[in-house]
Amino acid sequence: MSKIEFTLNGKNVVYDGDPLRRLVDVLREGFQLTGTKEGCGEGECGACSVLKNGKLVTSCIIPVGSVGGDEIVTIEGLRETEQGKCIIDSFAEGGAVQCGFCIPGMVMASQALLLTNPHPTEDDIRVAISGNLCRCTGYDLIVESILLASRKGEGLW
Amino acid sequence: MVNTCYIPKTLEEALVLRKEKKAVPLAGGTDLMVAYKRGVGITPIFPFPVMIVTHLDELKGIRVEEDGTVVIGALTTSVEIARDERVPYFVRMAASKMGAVSLRNTATIGGNIGNSSPKGDLPQPLILLDATVVLQSIDKKREMTVDEFIIKAKKNRLNDDEIITEIRIPKPDYTYGYFRKIGTRKANAISKLTLSAIMKVESGVIKDFRASSGAAGPKVARSREVEKLLIGKLVFDLPSLVEDFVDAWDGVISPHAMPEFRRATTKNMLRYFLLECAKLPKSGIIE
Repeated sequence: MSKIEFTLNGKNVVYDGDPLRRLVDVLREGFQLTGTKEGCGEGECGACSVLKNGKLVTSCIIPVGSVGGDEIVTIEGLRETEQGKCIIDSFAEGGAVQCGFCIPGMVMASQALLLTNPHPTEDDIRVAISGNLCRCTGYDLIVESILLASRKGEGLW
Repeated sequence: MVNTCYIPKTLEEALVLRKEKKAVPLAGGTDLMVAYKRGVGITPIFPFPVMIVTHLDELKGIRVEEDGTVVIGALTTSVEIARDERVPYFVRMAASKMGAVSLRNTATIGGNIGNSSPKGDLPQPLILLDATVVLQSIDKKREMTVDEFIIKAKKNRLNDDEIITEIRIPKPDYTYGYFRKIGTRKANAISKLTLSAIMKVESGVIKDFRASSGAAGPKVARSREVEKLLIGKLVFDLPSLVEDFVDAWDGVISPHAMPEFRRATTKNMLRYFLLECAKLPKSGIIE
């Protein structure tokens, strides 16, 4: 057992327990942040995506012991920001959501993209969400919604 | 069952833990966390002591030495390798095609070599380029080629008191180069088959030729003996040498699953590269 200190959605938090517990379980069960979903459990589907120091990572294959001192942002943190609101509104407006299970991860992947590339092309977007699987939409409306977010959010990133 | 887990703050601390507790380094976790996962909400249980080394800054970063050798810290991630223009093309390509963005943000070069999977993306170009791996213990440091280090699938020469600290890639010297990864989809794919090759040509004579085949046997396949079949030959003669060469290379690989596909496709890729070289195009990468 050890104490892991990190920043979660802007707040300093301390986790006390097995450092090999998966970050996704710490988020969902420890901190009740159930916006982060678990799909495959092996880093393939992207449903559990969160940002670690601004970079997209899959929280199902990250032990909480590896995030000491890091900044973790989940969908609950992102949706409180102007950037997050813009992406989420664009997803709603663009009809990007069907069942919704992949969407928190998709929004995190969109944010990770827009942080480094505020004016992505369609190809840039498809590459950026290539680790996020969606079984409903066929991706086209998600891609269009991210393009919409980059236009509507001009200057936000 | 309870895990034994350490989080060393320095390399020295990690080396002591490695020697005294035989703790296994966990860098990104992209292999180990999946191998020992037990399901939703359940903490993975490791049958050995683990040390989380993700934050050891001493093992991160890329530098270039005076003779052009590129030195990559073992904890450097695939994203960092893929975007660094100083890293040889083949290694950058392999890093950029590994998994998806999120995996590349997490997976490290040391982990990819230490995992020693024949489908691992990075060993293949590293073996092509005669890259070496530096293994450090609290008492000593040793270095060997990645080719020597990896024995077969999941087996390597890492001693239980050693940590992979860096990977050293000699400056490649080639006229033509080739890299291809075949997966079942454009992104987020485990390699079905990979090949890279380089050829150095001077005044129409092949001065050096190397190839390495990934995911085509229990480890990355290279054969200096078969490569020699082309060295010293004229580029002009390649069309007449190609078939004998690809047949000889067929004896180098030993695919277990889908052997017909892997053998035929390896031949096709090599044939393509060699016949393109025979046209003596402008030097560079042949796509």
